[in-house]
Formats: sequence, structure tokens, C-alpha cells
Amino acid sequence: MIVMIRNFGLAVISLGIMAAQTQDFSGAVKPVLLKSCAPCHNGRNASGSVNIAPFTEAGSLGEYRDDWERIIRKIKTGEMPPKGFPRPAQAQIDGLLHYVHAEFEKADAKIKPDPGRVTARRLNRSEYTNTIRDLLQVDFRADQDFPTDDSGFGFDNIGDVLTISPMLMEKYLNAAEKIAARALGLDPLPKRPIEIELHSKDKKIRRVAPSLIEGMQRVEWDAEYTIEIGLPGERIGGKPVLLGFWMDGKLLHTQPIETKPSGLVYFNPYSVETFRVFLPAGEHRFRAGFIDDEFVKTLASEDLYKDKKNKFLNMIKLVGPYATKQEPASRKALLICDPNRGTVCVEKILGNLARRAWRRPVTAAEVKSLAGFVGMAKREGQSTEQGLQVAITAMLVSPHFLFRIERDLYPKDPTRTHPITQLELATRLSYFLWSSMPDEELMKLAELGKLRDRAVLDGQVKRMLEDPKSASLAANFAGQWLETRNLSVVKPDPKKFPEWNPELRDAMQEETRLFFEAVLRENLSVSTFLDAKFTFLNETLARHYGMKDVKGPEFRRVELTGSQRGGILTQASVLTVSSYPTRTSPVIRGKYILQNVFGAPPPPPPPDVPTLDEEAVGNAGSLRQQLEKHRSNAMCASCHNRMDTLGFALENYDGTGKWRDLDGKFAIEPAGTLPSGKSFQNPAELRVALAGDLAEFSHSLTEKMLTYALGRGLERYDRRTVAGITTSLAQSGNRFQTMIYEVVRSLPFQTKRAEYKKQELAKQ
Amino acid sequence: MMTRKALSRRTLLRGVGTAIALPALDAMAPAFASSQLPGPKPVRMAFVYVPNGIDMRHWTPENDGALPAELPRILKPLEAYKQDITLLSNLTHNGGRALLDGAGDHGRCCGGYLSGIQPRKSFVDIKAGISMDQIVANAMASKTRFGSLEVGLEDARQAGDCDSGYSCAYTNNLSWRSETQPLPPILDPRALFERLFGTGAELSPEARARQAKYRRSILDFVMGDTRKLEMELGPTDRRKLDEYMSSIRSIEQQLERAEKDNAQINPGMDKPYGVPADFAEHFKLMTDMITVAFRADISRVVTFLVTREGSSRPYREIGIPDGHHPLTHHMNKPDLMEKVTQINEYHMKQFAGWVEKLKSAKEGDSNLLENSMIVYGAGLSDGNRHTHEDLPTLIAGQGGGYIKSGRRISYRRETPMSNLFLTMMDRMGVHVDHFGDATGRVAGLDLA
Repeated sequence: MIVMIRNFGLAVISLGIMAAQTQDFSGAVKPVLLKSCAPCHNGRNASGSVNIAPFTEAGSLGEYRDDWERIIRKIKTGEMPPKGFPRPAQAQIDGLLHYVHAEFEKADAKIKPDPGRVTARRLNRSEYTNTIRDLLQVDFRADQDFPTDDSGFGFDNIGDVLTISPMLMEKYLNAAEKIAARALGLDPLPKRPIEIELHSKDKKIRRVAPSLIEGMQRVEWDAEYTIEIGLPGERIGGKPVLLGFWMDGKLLHTQPIETKPSGLVYFNPYSVETFRVFLPAGEHRFRAGFIDDEFVKTLASEDLYKDKKNKFLNMIKLVGPYATKQEPASRKALLICDPNRGTVCVEKILGNLARRAWRRPVTAAEVKSLAGFVGMAKREGQSTEQGLQVAITAMLVSPHFLFRIERDLYPKDPTRTHPITQLELATRLSYFLWSSMPDEELMKLAELGKLRDRAVLDGQVKRMLEDPKSASLAANFAGQWLETRNLSVVKPDPKKFPEWNPELRDAMQEETRLFFEAVLRENLSVSTFLDAKFTFLNETLARHYGMKDVKGPEFRRVELTGSQRGGILTQASVLTVSSYPTRTSPVIRGKYILQNVFGAPPPPPPPDVPTLDEEAVGNAGSLRQQLEKHRSNAMCASCHNRMDTLGFALENYDGTGKWRDLDGKFAIEPAGTLPSGKSFQNPAELRVALAGDLAEFSHSLTEKMLTYALGRGLERYDRRTVAGITTSLAQSGNRFQTMIYEVVRSLPFQTKRAEYKKQELAKQ
Repeated sequence: MMTRKALSRRTLLRGVGTAIALPALDAMAPAFASSQLPGPKPVRMAFVYVPNGIDMRHWTPENDGALPAELPRILKPLEAYKQDITLLSNLTHNGGRALLDGAGDHGRCCGGYLSGIQPRKSFVDIKAGISMDQIVANAMASKTRFGSLEVGLEDARQAGDCDSGYSCAYTNNLSWRSETQPLPPILDPRALFERLFGTGAELSPEARARQAKYRRSILDFVMGDTRKLEMELGPTDRRKLDEYMSSIRSIEQQLERAEKDNAQINPGMDKPYGVPADFAEHFKLMTDMITVAFRADISRVVTFLVTREGSSRPYREIGIPDGHHPLTHHMNKPDLMEKVTQINEYHMKQFAGWVEKLKSAKEGDSNLLENSMIVYGAGLSDGNRHTHEDLPTLIAGQGGGYIKSGRRISYRRETPMSNLFLTMMDRMGVHVDHFGDATGRVAGLDLA
């Protein structure tokens, strides 16, 4: 409703159009409504709280556009009239749809192009993390420190919902102090090193595999640490193996070690390997293990942890911190001159950094006031560098850093549209494609006023997509679009799904990430998301999928030859996040597909509907039979027909995405019909059908991409933009990158206007 | 008796951030602040919120007045503290109801729980009301280091929508600083520890004073900048920066208070490592720290969102692998209802542990529980049917010898929850004429 009121002009204009065509309306629309809708949806008996009477006037098309779109959707998908009620002839329905669509198009063409307005956006956690990384080369993990950001429209970068609380402000201040100290290498280390032992006997390590252990540990300082790995046992005639040490999946150190018997008879064989590495502050996942350990594969499982049969691992110990001998890279990058030589250098350092931190040129006065902190620290008897630390802290808690604020050229006149500044454009681009600050090249181009040049802009998008930083699109866009971020929250029941463990979970996440990146970087058709002939697997996930040929922990591209897998809907990540902890839910999965593939989520269930008896499944009949029973109620059926059909098509995948042919003792019946009328016998045919008709998917994906890129929900006036992008997309053979280029070129991405006053929106 | 200065700074500092466990709370008690001075003790207030309703069959005793010898099943864990609790029946939160806004009872019942209003149905343009704890917190700003504390145990859902068109902000937060500014709860015990007792860095008094000075001038600097910036902005952007400035101001107030009362507080516990996997341990850690905060009088107002409204957390700790929320839609099946009751009991067991702790914390010749009003409740009564009347509500403690506890009071049906809030605000010394949908105060809580 808010939308309609904002476009108060629209109703008036469209009313005019409608009036001229009343004849058509009363021929094409009114009779259908009166005959097929009014019997249930009338003034006396407004079934589902809908009374069709107001919609029998031509003017309603303009006046109640949102409601009309719902009506159209229901008619189009066959949801209404519900099963068991007479349906108008198809020709009549087609006539109605055709007429209404044409009217909508006419009305939309009359809407003045409006770029809308994006509210000032606070950096969210991933943006903060990435920005600190790119600005200061400090590895700070905001997700471990700041509260979860609220999300709107499915994404957590929506300016309107990103609020700030005193607690978060405290965190910003603490984090800024710490980050500034870390960047300058001034974070004081404790006088004596601390020892932290993660030992299997204390259950502080987890065995990932026979020759691989893992432990979580928080490290408080950027510093060097001595690592000790405990290695009990020996191997008869054992060859040396390569010991590896990983942090958060990154291999930090390797060294060969002996596994031969020591010759000692009366002692338990045990050795310790020691080495020193640099660790950044934060919570980390450490792993120690033998790389390519062929020997353990020859052992019987009962011998794996017998110290006369095998050498294995049981402890990771961290001793530290020790000061690094090397100057930290962050410090080197920051101190572009010697600040002790005077104000000129101090101001140069701060001016340089502030320009990058605030993503705009800074004034001499601003630099002066930042340098004032250095003077203050010196008066307190502290060093220049300590003063710089205070100045950097101030920079990082400033609204110029924490918020992305765009200025209005015509603050008093919201009807006037203007391009955003080139620096604002550079910032929008980098937060869209990198979830981070613009780099020097973008800043330079913007400052030189060249960024808006079409060829330059396209060149930048190309460069940015090729940069590894664009991995943030997979993490932040795809992770939220496909809801795979929830993998860290879901807790499948270990009794029902004994194979569920952190490795499998990580592998699921990785598959979807790599797959999304492949579609993006190789610029494949968006239909690939729905039906693909390849995916990315490691042994863990391949085993889960019942595929034997993939060995080892590394992910690789795998061509899919069978019919079970292909595209996101068959990926274990998606199938797991759309299930209950103990079982699948065709309803959730059906809703998932409607929402994330068709962009048309079903309305929430009306209150007081009897909930579905999903528990009886597998006992009193298959889930399908149970649900069919439930759907004998016409009111429920209208939505569930759509949802459940889609959900059932995926019943061959269990609650963690494993293939199955039976549900309890009942056969799976995946066959069904799409809203478009196309029918399918099994999930493979469903995928082909989905990939064959991309209109709705492209539209919905474009809407999501535009929402994510702009950081605001879409409004009525954005329809034209979305339609334009989907047209270009189709013309390009549905290449995914086309969508990204078109979003960047679009009116709402490039321009803005001032905000309309509240009273024009007020409807509470 | 020892005075506040009796313990040397070294002793106080040693416990922070190291692995040396210090003696239990009582040993340090005399060093604490105003709560230990003679005279009336400050009243503390907390809300412990559990999601998805409560099985009322096992909550409500048969009669009004003195609580029966045997408490209903869910309340059993509180048996030993029967004389310290007051059960309130028939309180309603009308704003939780649809009132033509359609589905979304979970979003509404939590989003407006402490403000007595109906939150706006929106993903983006969120609007609830200032919550009563924040009205009290504002009044406490000059008295305690933290006007209020917001804690919880369950991480926010990271993707997808929360409830039928209601923003996740409504189900992830209990406290609202303004109509548009929810206060997210702290979930990580380590983060709560650092907030209350410092980051563990051993700063000398001089270094601490210097840090405070720097912080003040940093805040001055950004405030000045923000004011300039604000003048050029439209209304919504300005609102965003207002939130920013009001948050800055609250830190300034904290700095001011810390200056007046710069004694380090010894938490009497090790710095927690992070979020424990075990629910009971997590609950205990958080409430232990709240207890310390109450004792040391660094805060008097707490909201505790045990798990998010609509939470689907399974409770494997007690052998329940199904999600809490799906279970509450139990279709009156006895085995599912049983599981819901067990979850209700499990929550209550944790709460009883906290009540015990508060009661054993001596405060002069009374104890912390006596000087507190700890409300335990939910925004729904029947989680299956989403009912908003007769919300399960109990108060532990006597609010400083005010509440005549050990009984059940039934109000007239449909008595607004806001009436209770008005009464509690009175007790906290904050007199407000109108609040939410209140029609007056609740009677009969007090001794008179």
C-alpha cells in the first residue's frame, strides 16, 4: 500500500486510461469475476477476507494494482478458482490475462522514471571485515565480535534495517582501538608467553580423519607462536610423512617427520614436533595432519590408535605470543614516511589514509583535526605513533567510515533526478561486487571523472569480477539468496542422519560456493543454476552423493553423468537448509522453490488452519498420501497444490540431500505438474522443465540481484528497470554476467533523488 | 567491615582475563558499590523471555491465593522458592493479535512484548515502540554504568524471512531503545564479560585515565562531524545518524560514570572462552554475570531473550531432536505435547538455578532476590493456537520488600500486560502516565 501512495500520481493517470476502455473491461474481465470469483468472495461471505466487488470496476486496475497482481497470479497459476469449483474456459482466462497485462504495461510506461532513494547504509559485518582488510591489512573478524545484522528482503545490506545500538557503538570503539594498534604493530604483548594445550584427552581436539586433528582456539595477539604437535606411536618400517599445519583451511607450515620405531621398549613411543608461525588475532580453526598419508589406509580400523601399530596425532599446543622480528606489512604500508620527522609527514599519513577510509577526498581542515590527536598524545607524553593510533581510531568510528552516505544535489526537490557522484559510484560498485571499499584504481578513475565512461565502467566491472575479492558475491549474495548461510545454524538429528558432521557441512557449503562462482566467472547461462551438467565435489561429498570416483579432500570439477544431480536444487546444501532437523518437508522445499526460483513466495497460512500431520509419515502412508489428505480442504489446497508439488519432486533427497528411493517403507512418487502446466515424472525432468522456461526465474533473480546491489527493497517504479535487465539478459543468451553489467548500468544504480517527505508515505 | 578501598587494585585486577579462579562472589562482596551501603537497596528488574508459548495445562495452579503444596509440573523446579514467586494470570497482550494484520503472531508477540503496542508489519520500515525496560534504563543512566543489559542465548537466523512479513528485528530483540532502534542481545559470554568487566588488558590507572581522555576527544570529534553532516541529509538518513549520535552519547555517559566510579569490578570468575555448546552452561554463565552486575550495581535492568521467538532449536540435551517451534504445532498429539512440556520444564530448571543464585547473594541483611523483580514469561500462551491472552507470567523476588509473594493472582480477563509494566516502572521509581495499551496499574501485587 505504501508503494501505491508514494506514486500518488499513478492512480490518477491510470484512472484516465481505464476510463477510456471501460468497454473492454466489462467484456474481458467483469463477467469472469462475477461468475467465477463472486460466489465465494462477496460482501457477505468474503472467503479469505477477499471481496471481489471493488475489482469489478475498471478503475481498480490502477487503484488496487498490488491486489490485482495477486488476483492475476492466482488465476494464472490455477490456484483460483480452487479445485472442485467450475473453472472458466481457457480462452476466457487468456482474454482476461491479456487485457490486464496490456493495461498494466500501458500504466507502467506512463510512470516517470524514478531511481528511488537508498538510505545511508551502515557497513554490515562482512563489509566491515573486508574493508578493514583492504584498508589496513588487518585480519579482523567482525562476525566474531559484532551482533548479527538484521536483514530485510532476504539480505543483510539493506540500509533501512541496519540499525546501530549503544552496544554496537561500544564494539566499534573497542574494535577501532584494537585495529589501529594492530595495524601499527603497537598492540602490547604480555610479558610472559601463555601456553594453550588442545589435547585429545581433554576432548579439546576432534579427529577429522585418522591422520588429521582439529581444534578451535582464540588467539589474542598478532604475533608469532611456537606450535607443538603431539605424535604418539610408531610405524613398523615406517616411511617419513609430511606433517602439515593449517589455520582456517590455509596451510601455514609443513615439515617431514620420522615415523620409525624408536627402539625404546619400556616407554610409550611419543614424539613432539615444534615449529614457529605467525598467527593473526582472532578465533581460528587449527588443523594438524599428515599430508597424503598412504600408510593409514593399509591399517585395520582397530589398529589406528595403537601406538605400536601407527603413528598418529593427539595434541596441538600453542605457546606465545612472541614479538615478530619482521615489521608487520600493515605498518609498512601505513607509514609512508617517518612520522617522527614532523607534522608534514603525520598529515600526509593521515590524509592518505582518511581519503581511503572515508572513500572521498579529505579537506585540509579534516586532516588538521585528525593530526590534532597526535599532538594530544604527545602532550600526554606518548609517542607520535601512539598518537597516530588515536587518530586512526577516530577515523574508524567516524560516520564517514561506518556509513555509506550519498548526498542529495536537490534536497528540497525529490522530483529531480541526478547522477550520483563518481566517488559514490565507485563505492557502490565496490560494495556490490566486493563487499568492500573501492581500491586505488577505482578511486583514481572516479577522481579523474572517468568512471562514468561506458567503456571504462564495463572494464572496471570486468576487472572486479575477475578479482578474487568478487568471491564476496558467492558468500553474501548467493549465501543469502540460496539461504546456505543457514548451514551453520541447522542441526540435523544425528540419530536420523549419522553422516552429518562439520566436514560434510563445510563440503556442502563449498560445493555451492564453487558452483556459483563457476557460473559467474565463466559467464554461463543462468539456466545452469537450475540444471547443470557439472558440479564441484570432494571425497566427503561425493560419498554422500553415492559417487565413488572422487578421492581426497580437495574439491574439483566433476562432470555429472547420472540423472540424480545437477543444479542448485539438487545440492545437499540447499536440500539441508530446506528440511526439518529430523526429516524432509515438501512444504518448506516447495516454498523454497517458489520463493527463490520463481520469486513468488506463497502467502503465510491463515490462522487456525489444522496443521499438516507430517509426523504420521512413513507409518500410516507416505508423506505424499498424508499431504494429499490434508489438501482435500479447498482452502489449503489452493496454495499447497503449488508448494507441495514442487516439494514432492525433491522427495528423493532426504533431510541432508542424500538420494533415496523409499520414504520409510513407501515408494517415492516425485511426479507432478509445474504452475505453467508442464508435467514431470522425476526430479531430472523437473530440472529440465525449470531450465527450459527461464522467464520467471530470470525475473526473480534479477530482482534479488538489484535489491542486493542497491541495498533497498524494490518499488513499483523499479519494474521498468527489472524488465529492461531481463530483456538484455535474454538477448545475451541468459549469460549471468549480463545481469551484473546491466544492474551497474541501470538508472537506480547510477542516479538518485532526494527523499519524499514522510507525510506522503504516512499510512500506519 | 571492609570499605570499598579495602582491596588493593592488584587483587582486583588479577582476576581479569587470567586463568586464576578467584574466590566465590561472597568473599568479595564488601568491595562492591552502593548496593552494600546501609539503607534501602536499589531495586533490580529483569525479563526472562521464552519463545513459542508455554503448555498452560502444566503452568497454572487450580486456585488463586497461596500456591499449592505441589506446584504444577513446569513450575516444579521453583518449588524450593515457592514463597519468592508470584504467579499472574489473565494478562493479555492485545497488540500481539492480528487486528486485521493477518499472520505473524510470533513476530508481533515478541516485537511488542515490552512496549504494549502492535509492531508494524514490515520487513524494512520497522516500527515497534520504546520498550518499558528502556524507559527505566533512561532513568538509570545517571545512576549505573549500564542503563540496561540485553542478553540472549540463540544466534539470529542469518538468512530468509522471520515471520510472515515481519522483520527478523521483531523476533531477535526484546528491547527497543526507540520505535525504530532494537537493541540486539549479547549472546557470547565472552563478549558480555568484556563489556561488563573490561577486555582484560591490564591497564595502569594512568593508562586507563588516558584512554578515557582519548575516547572522550574521539567522541567529541565524531559528534562534531556528524552534526555537520546531518544538516545536509534527508529525514531517513538523519534518523540513521541520530541513532548513531544517541549511541555515542550513551558511551559518553558511561565514560563519565566510570570516571566517578572507576573501581574495577572483580567478576569472581574466569573470562569465558566463547559460546559453550551446552545450553545449561550457557544459561548459567550469562546469569552468573548478570548476578555480578546486579550486585556491583553496574546495571539494574536486564532483558534476557532465552531463545528467539519462533525458535526451532532442537533440545538434544534432553533427548528432543525436533525443533521447538514445529513441536508447538502439535495438533494435540500427546507425544508431541509432552516434548513441548519437557522443553518448558528444561527452561524453567535453568531459571530456577538463577533464582537460587540471586537468593544466596546476600545484600545487607536481605538478598538480591528480595531486591529484584525477575519476570519470567512468554509472548504467547498456547503456542499451537497462537493465543495472546492469559500469558504465562511470573515474578520472582519481592522488588525490595514490595511484592507479597508466594501466591497466584488472577486479574480480570483481558487485563493489559502494560498495566503490570506501569506498576513495575513505579516500583523502579519511574513514573509514567501512559504506556502502551495500559488502562491503569495492576492491583494486589503489594503488601498493602
